[in-house]
Amino acid sequence: MIGAVDLSAEDRTEGEPLVRLVDSDVHAQPMPATLMPYLSVDARRYLERYGRRTHNDMHAYPRARGAGTRLDAWPAQPGAPPGGDPELLRSQLLDEWGVDYAVLQVLNALDCYDPADIAVELPRAINDWLTQAWLEFDDRLRAAIVVPHEYAHLAVREIERRAPDPRFVAVLMPANAQELLGSERYWPIYEAASAHRLPIMFHTGGFIRNLGAGPPSYYIASHVNTSPAMQTQLVSMVASGLFQALTNVRIVVTECGVSWVTALRWAMDSAWELMGPDHPRLERRPSEYIHDHVWFTTQPVEEPAEPQHLLYAIEQAQLADRLLFATDYPHWDFDSPTQALPRAMDAKLRAAIMHGNALELFGLRPVRSQPSPLATP
Amino acid sequence: MDVLLPYLSDYWRQYLEGAMIGLHGLIDAYPPGAPTSASERARSFPAPAVPSGYPALRERVLDEADAELIVLNCLTALEAHRNPYYAAALATAVNDWVRDEFLSRDERLRASIALSIAVPDDAVAEIERRADDPRWVQVLLPVRSELPWGHPSHHAIFAAAERHGLAIGLHAWGRPGQAPTPNGFTSTYFEDYLANQAVAQSQLVSLVCEGVFERYPDLRVVLIECGFAWLAPLLWRFDKDWKGIWREVPWVKQLPSEYVYRHVRATTGPAHLPREPRAIRQLLETIDVGRLLAYASDYPHDHGGGLPRLLSELDNERRDAVLTTNAAALYNRARPDRSPDRDGVSAP
Repeated sequence: MIGAVDLSAEDRTEGEPLVRLVDSDVHAQPMPATLMPYLSVDARRYLERYGRRTHNDMHAYPRARGAGTRLDAWPAQPGAPPGGDPELLRSQLLDEWGVDYAVLQVLNALDCYDPADIAVELPRAINDWLTQAWLEFDDRLRAAIVVPHEYAHLAVREIERRAPDPRFVAVLMPANAQELLGSERYWPIYEAASAHRLPIMFHTGGFIRNLGAGPPSYYIASHVNTSPAMQTQLVSMVASGLFQALTNVRIVVTECGVSWVTALRWAMDSAWELMGPDHPRLERRPSEYIHDHVWFTTQPVEEPAEPQHLLYAIEQAQLADRLLFATDYPHWDFDSPTQALPRAMDAKLRAAIMHGNALELFGLRPVRSQPSPLATP
Repeated sequence: MDVLLPYLSDYWRQYLEGAMIGLHGLIDAYPPGAPTSASERARSFPAPAVPSGYPALRERVLDEADAELIVLNCLTALEAHRNPYYAAALATAVNDWVRDEFLSRDERLRASIALSIAVPDDAVAEIERRADDPRWVQVLLPVRSELPWGHPSHHAIFAAAERHGLAIGLHAWGRPGQAPTPNGFTSTYFEDYLANQAVAQSQLVSLVCEGVFERYPDLRVVLIECGFAWLAPLLWRFDKDWKGIWREVPWVKQLPSEYVYRHVRATTGPAHLPREPRAIRQLLETIDVGRLLAYASDYPHDHGGGLPRLLSELDNERRDAVLTTNAAALYNRARPDRSPDRDGVSAP
């Protein structure tokens, strides 16, 4: 189904604007001090004395210039990080581009090596802060639930706590965790999310060990490497039988690229033709599981010299109903809603990518009750 | 392993026998029972599927092949051995054996130099030891590595290879018993097998970002048994990133895709391709296979029937390039003319 969001007359009140743009990857970022009021006394004291002792090398090596963010996205108030000021985000993203819905992803807990008590409190504090400082601030904002993913049973509790709030539209997981993402240790999270019809968004970052080829020396290399890294994660999820066991699970590959899935589907299907009979958890072709269960955010969308080639990838990998537009605000490689996708793309496909697929996946209303002040046509 | 004993010193023979050490480490890249490890034809001969001597190679490959030149890759997994002196001695023994058992007995044969990189000086010494013999056409390294191959700690190997007109072959697998994916250990052979193509992508990124092709403008790198259908999307992303943040790596002076097509080749196997001709035709628009691919039978392995489907979509010129001329150019030891102004670029 391509962007076929049915608008029956009773769904739509006169004058309510149609949703035209959903941004599926936007970042809010707290300062450590921001979260302190949301933490218990014990957790605060622990963090104030020792800090977090996790292994997240994303922010240290290799070093990204300007914290990997747009220069103009730094808020005026001292110490506030990009994505730390709701007013600025509203003006630079929601109003400037006419975004109808933006899905916030807070990346600060993507690495989860904290002791269990801290690991539980931190995501809870982030989700409380998200609710108060962001979701209450602008009704165009939605969020992915931050969870202590390395402690699956505790992550399930956080999902249960947030699921009743419809503004939480997904569960956030890292693209890199302690084990490959197909590991059964994470299945309780996938199961709980799916029970609430919440997709699981796997965002770049987390605990990146750079095994296989070794750690890259430069940020640019690590940034390109997120694509092959996610390829091995999809292979893991398919091979584990996750998609066969949990038939309702829907995952979103976030910020890892898109068009590589074409060749990955071919490779997995070719391997399956040879080895499939030895894998009872793979009754169907891997490409079928991928199509049924996997969505992709676009940013940073591949930009071939021949834009038509991106359309080939979308055709070959059956991505027309699986792509979700994203800007990745406030990061440096922001994809413009008006420039990032090939002009040759037909209007129906563009509409599906810009809003239709996301509305359906996240269960969002296709009309907005409040028009954004500066919505562009 | 027994065939190597004559090429090893007493010390290493005792070491081997006492420790009951095999050649490949404990995790086999090609488990004999796996469908991918041996084609139907390879299975029609007595095990092992990999020819263990010249008579077997002749019967199974040479008598059948109409190839004019055949490159042998002896996969040794030398990086599995923690003892750096043993790994170096074993590399020399393997290469001596390949020379005596194969190269000296058939004029069509060429081979890759097995190498231990545990001590860079030993690796360079082994290249120098073989360099005067034109039957060695390539330096063989595993695609999986502790440090990405572009890292400066490997540059002495590239310098030696370039000096002698040897290609660098990055072959699927390596580091047996260690995690094959960026994020850790796989559970199934299926995942392990498919990890090679992901690792190969990271290696290309590393080689370009470290400026290897600026430092060594005559260097050629061959991805062996790592696939190729994945190349275009990687380059689309890589080129886009380079346009935005090339300042981090100013010694990378051109689009990454330009370096890759000039310096990198890939073998035809595994050709993990779909069945629809339209999909293959679209792929051929996005990847310049006429420049990229060099034919490899990959005997005795079996990766499915993708290659004939690919070849059937190629015109004669590209077909000839893939089957013959690309590999012939790749493994031609004659050094190409160098421009006098090698544009030296120094990393920080």
